[in-house]
Order: sequence, then C-alpha cells, then structure tokens
Amino acid sequence: MKIKTHIKVITLSALAFAISAQAHDPKEHMKDAQEPDCAAMKDMDHSKMDMDDPVTQAMMKKCMKGMDHDKSENDQTSDEHHGDKESSEEPHPEQQKDEHPEPQPN
Amino acid sequence: MKKSIMYIKSIALIAAIFLVGGGLFLYSGYYPMGADVPHNQLTHKLLETLRERSIARAARDIEAPADLNTSERLLAGGADYNDMCAGCHLKPGKTESDFSIGLYPSPPNLTSIADDDDGDGDGDGDGDAENDNADIKRNFWVIKHGIKASGMPAWGPTHDDERIWNMAAFLKRLPDLSADQYQILTARGEDSEEHHGQ
Repeated sequence: MKIKTHIKVITLSALAFAISAQAHDPKEHMKDAQEPDCAAMKDMDHSKMDMDDPVTQAMMKKCMKGMDHDKSENDQTSDEHHGDKESSEEPHPEQQKDEHPEPQPN
Repeated sequence: MKKSIMYIKSIALIAAIFLVGGGLFLYSGYYPMGADVPHNQLTHKLLETLRERSIARAARDIEAPADLNTSERLLAGGADYNDMCAGCHLKPGKTESDFSIGLYPSPPNLTSIADDDDGDGDGDGDGDAENDNADIKRNFWVIKHGIKASGMPAWGPTHDDERIWNMAAFLKRLPDLSADQYQILTARGEDSEEHHGQ
C-alpha cells in the first residue's frame, strides 16, 4: 500500500516537473514567433560587413534562405525575359532543394 | 576593574537601545516599502555593495565555455533574450518600458552599457580579457540564480546551462547591435520570403 502511494507521488511530481519544463521549451515561443526582417539586411552596405564577425554570420544564416530564393527568382525572371520557355518549365529552384541542399541555421 | 565593568555595561546598554529601537522601527511599519520610493543613500549603498560582492564571490570559480563568440550561440541566446529579458532590459531603439520605469531597483538597460563599464578607468570601454571574462561569468550567474528582491528571476531551475551561456554570449554583443541587426538575430521564425513560393 505504501509503495503504491510512493509511486503515485513520484509519478505526479515527475509529471509536474515535465510540464513545467515543457513550458520553457523554445518551441513554446514559436506560436507568436516573429519573422526576421531580412529586407533591412539587403539595404545594408555589404562591403562594410565583416564576414568573420559572428553577428554578420548569424544574420547571414538567418536570411540566407530568403536571399538565395530572391536570387534564384531573379535568375528565373531574367531567363523568362530572354524568351527561354524551357527554363520556365523547369522545376522551381526550391523544389530542387534535395539536389542542392542549402546550409541550415542551427 | 570597576571602570571596565562600567564600560561593558555602557556598551551593552547602547547595543540594547539599538536592538530595541531597530525592532520597534521594524514593527512600526514606517519604512516606505513601495517601489516608487527609493532607498536612502546609505541603505542603497549597503545593499549594492552586498549584492556586488556576493555575486563576484559566487561567480569567481565559474568556467566559461571557450566557444562563446559564435553565430549559433548568438541566434539561440538572442531569441531567448527577446522573449525573456527585453521587457525589462530593453532592446536597441527602446529607451524605456513599463517594467524599466516601474521596477525598483531599476533593471539595467543592457543595450547601452556605459562606455567604460570595463572598469579600467580609461574610458575606452574595451576592457581587457580578464574583465570581459568576469562580466560574462557574472551575467551567467545572475541569469541562472537571479537576484533576491529585485525582480530578477532565477532562470536556472527551468533552463539548462548551455541555454544560459547562449544568453550570456548574446549579452556580450548586445550593446553593439543596431535595431535592424537585433530584429534579425532575435526573430525565432524563418525569413518569410522563403515561404511565399510554397
């Protein structure tokens, strides 16, 4: 009988601890997660950026995907302007992610 | 002999008066406890010294990780800072909030640490590696353990050391960040442009 009571107490304590820990998981904050304003980064003077600086590296990681996407969109638009019909029928660069994996931010 | 007994009695009497007087003052309720009335200078100085000496002693033997200055730590620590700390300790472009105005002692504005907070007195704010290291260890300790009766909570019970080191790493770079850089570094979401084509 005593053992059963102990098990109940331990289980409830463990459950309470797990719930409290979960509340502070970063995923909990994702509900109202802000998106990075990478447009601001495009306006920055890239020549003055120190690529060895962890702040610059962090910003690049955060905005890299969007910038790559823009670049490939521009390339595609340029191809279309040149009348290259075949290129517009090719899969979107984002659909080729598996073939050309992009570095992922941690 | 008689003189020394008189001396001891006098000291005991003075001590008793202080104790009884102090006790009466404590129980009288006359000390202003509202956060909108600051401590007098003596109390403030005593409490500040007590706090700083205690933190310096407790943080002295902490070993800081060698890889604090990395983009991964900045991104992880920045997002947590924005969610957990910016309300009181502010962010670039913001000079006050309800918390920074209303709390006493007022939480330090971590985005605009004084230029010479390195304590070397040269006004350059550069500091040497030893001071930088001491600041990082102090920040880690304060985030982990909090500070009694100040509004600063202990995040240690709910956050592991790695996560707290990430925040300490972010704090080191926070004063250098512009509002735009801060926004990008602390946003938890991904760049929205990435999702438009999906």
